[in-house]
Amino acid sequence: MSRTSMIGKNMPRIDAVQKATGQTKYLPDMNFPGMLYGKILRSTEKHAVIRKIDVTRARELPGVRAVITGKDIPELLYSFDQTVADKEILCKDKVRFLGDEVAAVAADTEEIAEKALKLIEVEYEPLLTVFDPEEALQDDAVLVHEEKNSNVAIKVVKDFGDVEKGFEESDYIFEDRIVTSRQAHCCLETRGCIAQYHTDGKVTIWGPTQIPHRWRKQVADATGIDRGKINIINTPTGGAFGSRVVMDTKIPIAVYLSKFTKRPVKMVNSREDEFNVSRTRYPFIVYLKTGVTKDGKILAKQARVIADNGAYCDEGAAVLGFAGVFYSVLYDAPNVSFHGDCIYTNNQPCTAFRGFGNPQMHYAFEIHLDRIAKELGIEPKELRLRNANKEGAAKATKANINTCTFNECIEEATKLTQWDKKYLEFKEENKGKEVKKGIGMATMLHTGFTTRFFGFNATDTFIKLSDDGIVSVITPIIEMGQGSSTGVAQIVAEALGVKMDDIRIINTDTDITPYDLGAYGSRHTVVCGHAAMDAALKAKEELLVAASEMFNCDAEELDCINGELFFKNDLNKPLATVGEVTEFTAFKLGRLISGRGRFVDELAPRGLVDEGYSIYIPTYSFGCQIAEVEVDTLTGEVKVEKITAVVDNGRTLNPILAEGQMEGAIAQGMGYALTEELKIENGRVVNNSFTDYKIMHAEDLPEIEVKFVESGDPFGPYGVKGIGECGLVPTAGAITNAVYNATGVLVGELPIKPEKILLGLEEENR
Amino acid sequence: MKHDISLNVNGEIYNISVESDTLLLDAIRNHLNLTGTKDGCRAGECGACTVIMDGKPVNSCMVLAVEAEGSVITTIEGLNNGEELHPIQKAFVEEGAVQCGFCTPGMVMSAKGLLDKNPSPNTKDIRKAIRGNVCRCTGYKKIEKAILHAAEMINEDKKLD
Repeated sequence: MSRTSMIGKNMPRIDAVQKATGQTKYLPDMNFPGMLYGKILRSTEKHAVIRKIDVTRARELPGVRAVITGKDIPELLYSFDQTVADKEILCKDKVRFLGDEVAAVAADTEEIAEKALKLIEVEYEPLLTVFDPEEALQDDAVLVHEEKNSNVAIKVVKDFGDVEKGFEESDYIFEDRIVTSRQAHCCLETRGCIAQYHTDGKVTIWGPTQIPHRWRKQVADATGIDRGKINIINTPTGGAFGSRVVMDTKIPIAVYLSKFTKRPVKMVNSREDEFNVSRTRYPFIVYLKTGVTKDGKILAKQARVIADNGAYCDEGAAVLGFAGVFYSVLYDAPNVSFHGDCIYTNNQPCTAFRGFGNPQMHYAFEIHLDRIAKELGIEPKELRLRNANKEGAAKATKANINTCTFNECIEEATKLTQWDKKYLEFKEENKGKEVKKGIGMATMLHTGFTTRFFGFNATDTFIKLSDDGIVSVITPIIEMGQGSSTGVAQIVAEALGVKMDDIRIINTDTDITPYDLGAYGSRHTVVCGHAAMDAALKAKEELLVAASEMFNCDAEELDCINGELFFKNDLNKPLATVGEVTEFTAFKLGRLISGRGRFVDELAPRGLVDEGYSIYIPTYSFGCQIAEVEVDTLTGEVKVEKITAVVDNGRTLNPILAEGQMEGAIAQGMGYALTEELKIENGRVVNNSFTDYKIMHAEDLPEIEVKFVESGDPFGPYGVKGIGECGLVPTAGAITNAVYNATGVLVGELPIKPEKILLGLEEENR
Repeated sequence: MKHDISLNVNGEIYNISVESDTLLLDAIRNHLNLTGTKDGCRAGECGACTVIMDGKPVNSCMVLAVEAEGSVITTIEGLNNGEELHPIQKAFVEEGAVQCGFCTPGMVMSAKGLLDKNPSPNTKDIRKAIRGNVCRCTGYKKIEKAILHAAEMINEDKKLD
């Protein structure tokens, strides 16, 4: 039997049977005795001073158990990043977007709670508004937060080398203004929670979360409750994609409703709430300026990003952080400058979304690069290869790039698609045709697992074996559909030598699991997998020592594979099952078997103070996507025929799950490219349903071919890199470039809707 | 106004009292406590609440509970008997068609509606059958494969019979 029998194998997900039979209990499926339903009264103004809130009539309605406003709770400001805390749980004096939380009700039923909301009277005094982040930067713009001296909420500035000098030395300079859209997460399970404030001061919160341990801090910051009294129980997650990183404001509200009623309080978003008021992907306006030599070498590149922050701060620093690092490190230019600002507006706030700011920057730079390629007369693949990174430190940023597979990914993707042939042939074929074929590429640089942004990036894992050999893995792994809990189980099965069926993943709540930053930034399988592997190896040591006492031999002579003990020199004859050894250990030796494992990232504490990018990203992931499209030049309609995705995932842990991550991310990337845009007109969301906000359906998807390049990563368990996000990062760029290739129209504004393509064609014909 | 109705769900009779405007979805989830049927939009746009009603897949959020009296309804809980998975469920598990799982019960029921009528569908038929079911995780590819695989398994079983 091979040493790595579990790695690279198509194991079914450990949660699939319960999910396929409808037995998995998500938050909306849970009800507790005595439970009340909470509802929020939201601002009907976009920017206004609250003159008066009268809750008398609401409190008198039978079945209403509590009505609270900002006056009933401590005056605290919170944010995901407490250094930019700017949000009250319930607005006391001022509202800043349509939907801002003003009051909350807990009642016996949802219907009574809804009725009570209608009985609350609020008097507003409307203020001037601002919805466009560039207008918000003007001197005469109204301040969204009147105590600040501008609408700049968050600033990230990174300069490497001397871009001005680089521009002077360049033969050509290209400038573009590129705009990305507001994408909604559209998880099938809407945001929700149940909170119970206990009489002893402890608080239990149930909900789907990506980062339970950091939610404790967020709840504590928002409520003033001691963090040590809060336990977060993570319920099965009906989709996440970044939307469950930052705590929803409903959670602290539910905590207070529970405190006042002494009963558990459940709050769940309607689908309309989900579109109208929930936080979205940050829309970017990107100004790019790039200096190149006539043979296409980039000498200087400069990006100025203006991101719509919405009314309150959230993940802006991390989003600009991702945007900055991957823009700066993608392509090895000697002079790089990134300036990004999140700008306050009276729009709904934004949050993390698969890839943070990287899909925005990749779309912008990859289409900008194709324009440069066309104008210089250099083939797009060739232009990319001329500027490719190499293993080692990048020129300007000094980013430490190990396992660099940039060229390999491009070569593989172009080979799979017959790029060289199609890139030339389509142009000939298209002559005189109304429906034109196109092929376009975008390369991809992303993290192999997270950043060192928090100054901490580690975790522990505990493994215990029961007397019958059942293996419990106490791990912070979050299962949000990506399959990481199955991945961790596979890693334990491999490292400890036990059967998948005998593994139990214990990841239920923050009182139990080791401290960890959570599932975001493609980090969880790598970080938790590493700690789990370490724990499994330690438990295996104990298991082999016990078995050696059972068989009167040296532990070194033994091995454990797939649930059975063997002499290393005779792997055909099992000596005992793991269960027999654990039973012997318990009842003959009088002890148990366990293991504690660690993933340590010693460089992480320096991540906080690192001014450049030398250690910001522990390891990079590379990729290339090629889109093949047909564009109807009469209607502007784009039909994507095929997406070919090549990605360096270090090593494939579970092919079917890894492909599933890529295919799902590509579908989201296609939506981002072609249809998805939460439209806010004058502060109001106008497409708040699945009919009006179009995500990809089965019939919309083309053939998708996914190929993995396995570089093997020094950090990852068995060489694994994270791939949760990288499928989405290049898709919009690849599709837009394919349309450019087909029609000569480069649409610099997402989504690239038919009307924009038609407008471009009209301009071309003029 | 309250109505005393009797619903035939998964071969069992449930006598319940509902309002005129109670949705079949809410009757199933809240009155029958069968929470496998998911509430995703309450507007007939996502398919998470799909059940089989008189042989046809329907969005249970688009049907009033009182309208469902006299109909034969199957929910995800009624699909498999005991511990044995229905071939569609088995195929979803094996083909990696499940990620977060929230769309899965509705998706499985739409697949059941298709395969009951058309035992050998092609990919186009499958896409048409699940066009009303939104999945945000998978990109649908593994779901399509699973339904094809389920059809094969069901046809094999029939041959053996």
